[in-house]
Amino acid sequence: MMQSKPDLGRRALVFVPYGWLAVFFLMPFLLVLAISLSSVRLGMPPYEPLYAWQGSLLSIRLNLENFIFVLGENTYLLAYLTSLKVAAISTALMLAIAYPLAYGIASCSPRSRSFLIFLVIVPFWSSMLIRVYAWMSILRNDGLLNSLLLNLGVISEPLRIMNTETAIYIGIVYTYLPFMVLPIYANLSASDRTLIEAARDLGCSRLSAFWRVTFPLSLRGVAAGSALVFIPVIGEFVVPDLLGGADTQMIGRTIWIEFFNNRDWPVASAVTVLLLVILVIPIVLFQTRLSRTSK
Amino acid sequence: MQSYVSIENLSKSFGFFTAVDDVSIGIGRGEFFSLLGPSGCGKSTLLRMVAGFETPTSGAVRLDGEEVTDVPAHRRPTNMMFQSYALFPHLTVGKNIAFGLEQDRLARAEIRQRVSEVAEKLQLTALLDRKPQQLSGGQRQRVALARALVKRPKVLLLDEPLGALDKNLRTETQHELVRLQRELGLTFIIVTHDQHEAMTVSSRIAIMRQGKVLQIGSPAEVYETPVSRYVAKFLGEANVFEGGATTRSGSELAVESAEAGGPVFATAADHVSTNGRFWVSVRPERVELARQGSGLEGVIEQFSYAGSGRHYRVRLKSGATLDALRVNLGAEDDLSVGDTVFASWMPQAARLLAD
Repeated sequence: MMQSKPDLGRRALVFVPYGWLAVFFLMPFLLVLAISLSSVRLGMPPYEPLYAWQGSLLSIRLNLENFIFVLGENTYLLAYLTSLKVAAISTALMLAIAYPLAYGIASCSPRSRSFLIFLVIVPFWSSMLIRVYAWMSILRNDGLLNSLLLNLGVISEPLRIMNTETAIYIGIVYTYLPFMVLPIYANLSASDRTLIEAARDLGCSRLSAFWRVTFPLSLRGVAAGSALVFIPVIGEFVVPDLLGGADTQMIGRTIWIEFFNNRDWPVASAVTVLLLVILVIPIVLFQTRLSRTSK
Repeated sequence: MQSYVSIENLSKSFGFFTAVDDVSIGIGRGEFFSLLGPSGCGKSTLLRMVAGFETPTSGAVRLDGEEVTDVPAHRRPTNMMFQSYALFPHLTVGKNIAFGLEQDRLARAEIRQRVSEVAEKLQLTALLDRKPQQLSGGQRQRVALARALVKRPKVLLLDEPLGALDKNLRTETQHELVRLQRELGLTFIIVTHDQHEAMTVSSRIAIMRQGKVLQIGSPAEVYETPVSRYVAKFLGEANVFEGGATTRSGSELAVESAEAGGPVFATAADHVSTNGRFWVSVRPERVELARQGSGLEGVIEQFSYAGSGRHYRVRLKSGATLDALRVNLGAEDDLSVGDTVFASWMPQAARLLAD
């Protein structure tokens, strides 16, 4: 009797996030999955219903054409690969910037630490869209960066950064960097300093103590940060749309075009479902590795 | 005599706070040396300066004749066993032990051989593939010891090495440490706040307080001939009475003590002056209690049974208290609370203290 009460409370508590996920993730996803198995038609909604009543018989029509179509078209494959490439490269870039940053902050005194972390988070206080537009005015051919460099005489012709892949990387790294910094910082700042002393005592220089102790122990933070940026960057739409050019077609843009330009909801849904499959595989791999190492 | 570890006028200040204040200690080869004191007395800071983790504000450290004051920790022939053990959680026990040897880039075969040697010595052979998180406290302690010993340091530094163990395991481990130290012939320096531990394991003890060394000596020396009331009370129990008019015959003294309410007896080295303030200190186990006879008269106020002994607290006529300990030899207890007793001791059982 006494035991069942907190148990019930705990179950209710667990139910909240599950309920949330069911309503706002699982149901929309099932809708998208259903649409991806339908076929396009004129009208509203712009897809054939999946089931129909023929007299007293329920007939369900599932249509795999959209998937076959998407898998057969080079443009989609290319968009997937481009997205994976952009996500991988920008994750690597962010890691290269975020790790030293997080390490530096974690080795400061506790008071300056919280101020520096505050500075990392500060950009979130303004809208992401505004910040991306700000980058447009910096990177434009007649933008701030080019006029500065021209006036300084560093270059004689404006650099073409806007509407290139470089602009996409700048935008993405800028936007997502805090998500990489925070988990690594959290990990490093919680690390045990005496382990470094132990390594030094056993003959390590500062550098080798870092590589043999600090770095391997921070890999969880690195993995968490990488997952936190890699996955959303694959589906990123705003940055490539505003800063990128026509030659860098990422999957987010492809879905947008299918939905709004071509009004082909079933194909757009199929592209979305496949994207999810691509994303789920690395997550599952990551999770199983994590649970294996923690055992 | 040339010391193996020589700490010379070493001081360390953090801002306005002086953690270690002009300490000089010479430690011989193969000694088991204890730095003993309450927390905050500077003993850990002193050890960390020997290890190379703290830079002294002034003074020098010499190891085996070589000055190492400015040598960084990773180049010193010392190894440290940390209070928290500081085992690497991402490495197995075997890898933890091999860590320092791998850093020295020894041949694989030699690393394997030395690791298995030390693992056998410390009964860790079956645990080499485990992670530190899977070990008990005592096992972790042995891994930390093995990791430091496998490097064959000239000096092994132990910072409160047994603090995290429960009492029985601690006693057992103390004997184990002494056995190892003798077998390996290494020099050990241990930091502890536990006077019993220091007495059990050490060849010599330095008693520290507020950054200064008060006394250095063998356990028997510091216990039998403490230099001050503080040392006497820090190492075990002591009854201390302020002294007055004194008659001396040889090294034996009869001291008139208002605090004790009568004459008390003590011995003192010739140089100890009975001018100015001085005190007589006597250990509870040296006090004899009798129902009749001479000595300080008082009433038993408290009694506690401690297994190996019986502890009496006597309220003297002067109002002061006196503790007495009777070793439990199996005889029936003939004293109880409320009894009037006379407390006395041999002159050589008490010490005259000037501080």
